[in-house]
Amino acid sequence: MLGRVSASAISVKGLRKSYGEQEAVAGIDFEVAAGEVFGFLGPNGAGKTTTIEILEGYRERSGGEVEVLGVDPEQPTREWRSRVGLVLQECELDPLLTVREAVDLFATFYPAPRPVEETIELTGLGGKREARIGSLSGGQKRRVDVAIGIIGDPDLIFLDEPTTGFDPTARRDAWNMIEGLKALGKTVFLTTHYMEEAQHLADRVAILREGRIVAQGPTSELGASLGRRTVIGFRLNGGLTTEELRTHLSTPLQVAGGEVSVETEQPQRDLYRLLSLAEERGITLLDLEVRKPSLEDIFLDLTGGEDPPGAGGTTGEQAP
Amino acid sequence: MSDRRIVLAQARTAILVALRTPRALVFTFFFPLIFLVLFNSIFIKGGDEMVTLPTHLKLSAQAYFMAGITAYSISLSTFTTLAVSITTQRERGQLKRLRGTPMPSWTFIVAQILRATAQALAMTLLLVAIGVIAYGVEFPGAGFLGFLVYVALGTATLCTLGIALTAFTPTVDAASTIAPFTVVILAFFSGVWIPIDQLPHWLQEVGRIFPLYHLAIGLQGTLSPEASGAGLEADNITPLLIWALIGAFVATRRFRWEPLAGTT
Repeated sequence: MLGRVSASAISVKGLRKSYGEQEAVAGIDFEVAAGEVFGFLGPNGAGKTTTIEILEGYRERSGGEVEVLGVDPEQPTREWRSRVGLVLQECELDPLLTVREAVDLFATFYPAPRPVEETIELTGLGGKREARIGSLSGGQKRRVDVAIGIIGDPDLIFLDEPTTGFDPTARRDAWNMIEGLKALGKTVFLTTHYMEEAQHLADRVAILREGRIVAQGPTSELGASLGRRTVIGFRLNGGLTTEELRTHLSTPLQVAGGEVSVETEQPQRDLYRLLSLAEERGITLLDLEVRKPSLEDIFLDLTGGEDPPGAGGTTGEQAP
Repeated sequence: MSDRRIVLAQARTAILVALRTPRALVFTFFFPLIFLVLFNSIFIKGGDEMVTLPTHLKLSAQAYFMAGITAYSISLSTFTTLAVSITTQRERGQLKRLRGTPMPSWTFIVAQILRATAQALAMTLLLVAIGVIAYGVEFPGAGFLGFLVYVALGTATLCTLGIALTAFTPTVDAASTIAPFTVVILAFFSGVWIPIDQLPHWLQEVGRIFPLYHLAIGLQGTLSPEASGAGLEADNITPLLIWALIGAFVATRRFRWEPLAGTT
């Protein structure tokens, strides 16, 4: 078949999409290698959904070249559809069907589906197989979506915000499952609002903003490649002024409320100076931590500080 | 290939969903049965009332109502349920999801039509059984054959029209209002509720434009002892065929897989 020679599962060059005057995707390039988990991130309205729907064969592009498993998704063949698994943003299944009925139905569409019972077990729905989809919780419905997305045993799986509405345990389970898919050699194209999810799962990420890719690279190296530094964070409880800190550390620092964060290229030196100063004055640095820039820090930086919805509870706060 | 399996699996699913939708079942199953019994009780006093069709054929009031309610029931089982269920599936994004699988799109449409046809035939069988057993309706000569032809043609026509209607119903509310309402109103114009020879002329003239009129009058004609042969008349067959073509044309041109509401 066409394109089997290339090791890329997805290849996008100069992709553009306009809706009338408005350019939703303004010329983006990226490659997704076969067998990797690719995180596609960006705030709402950045063009994520438009891009993923073009890759899935739902939308026509305005310009550029796209190949998904060696096929132009504007000309989807039946064989191609059976190699691509989809998990769309919302549950799109009949609420009156039971989990097993729905998975059974979709299994008939594929030439070599996975075993139905095993897939239901894998997605953690074993206890719910006879329950109607309409009676399930949001997280359970997403699992049915995932079960249906992988029932055809696809080579490439699009996961569009697969864990939205999951509780932390369910999210861990989903992560394990996605890692399991990767272990089976599947390529996963993942969009998510949760930066820790992308950090945990994705081999590489691309960050989209206003229709353009503002950063892309291996997840672990993205911070360094963008010149991001290690951050020392703590809270001040009197005894020191920020002015004194600035003179002692000779590194720019940011203060928000009582929180101080110091971005440094020499964490060891600055930490030593900081701790010596604190010791000398006999003061306690509250909530002291040293951290590498998280994907969330980078994301917030690159996307203009707009909060990724739902991404609460992490410590990646940033002074304005 | 396994396309037959795909069609059957989807038809089975459609039947399951229909059986699990109590509101729709009340309308499409109980209403025709209740109406058949009610009209026989209300309009038939002595038991030998006759109705004269616009084609001048005469038939017993019992046969008249059985055929008219059958036409009404076929409309509900096909036109109404298809318009409502396809719009519902489309607006929920189910059709979009199906479109992303290797399932050939025609198998979905055929499966929906199979479900509608099975429902229409089951209801016809039930209504005819009640008519024959409880109200002594008889099929004259080859009338049964003509009756079956009209059932088949009416089912096909109203299936295409039900699918075509989904092009004009952007929401589930719109579909589940427009589709049953159209049938109820047209049933008045077609002599389903009131014997046609008691309707004012202008009402009949309006009714004559629409397929339900020709399905009802056609079915009723096959039950008249005065009918010739199987009782098939070009005056009814031709309009039904024209409507079938209109429906098929619109359905194939305007069918949408993605939600009409809230698209970007």
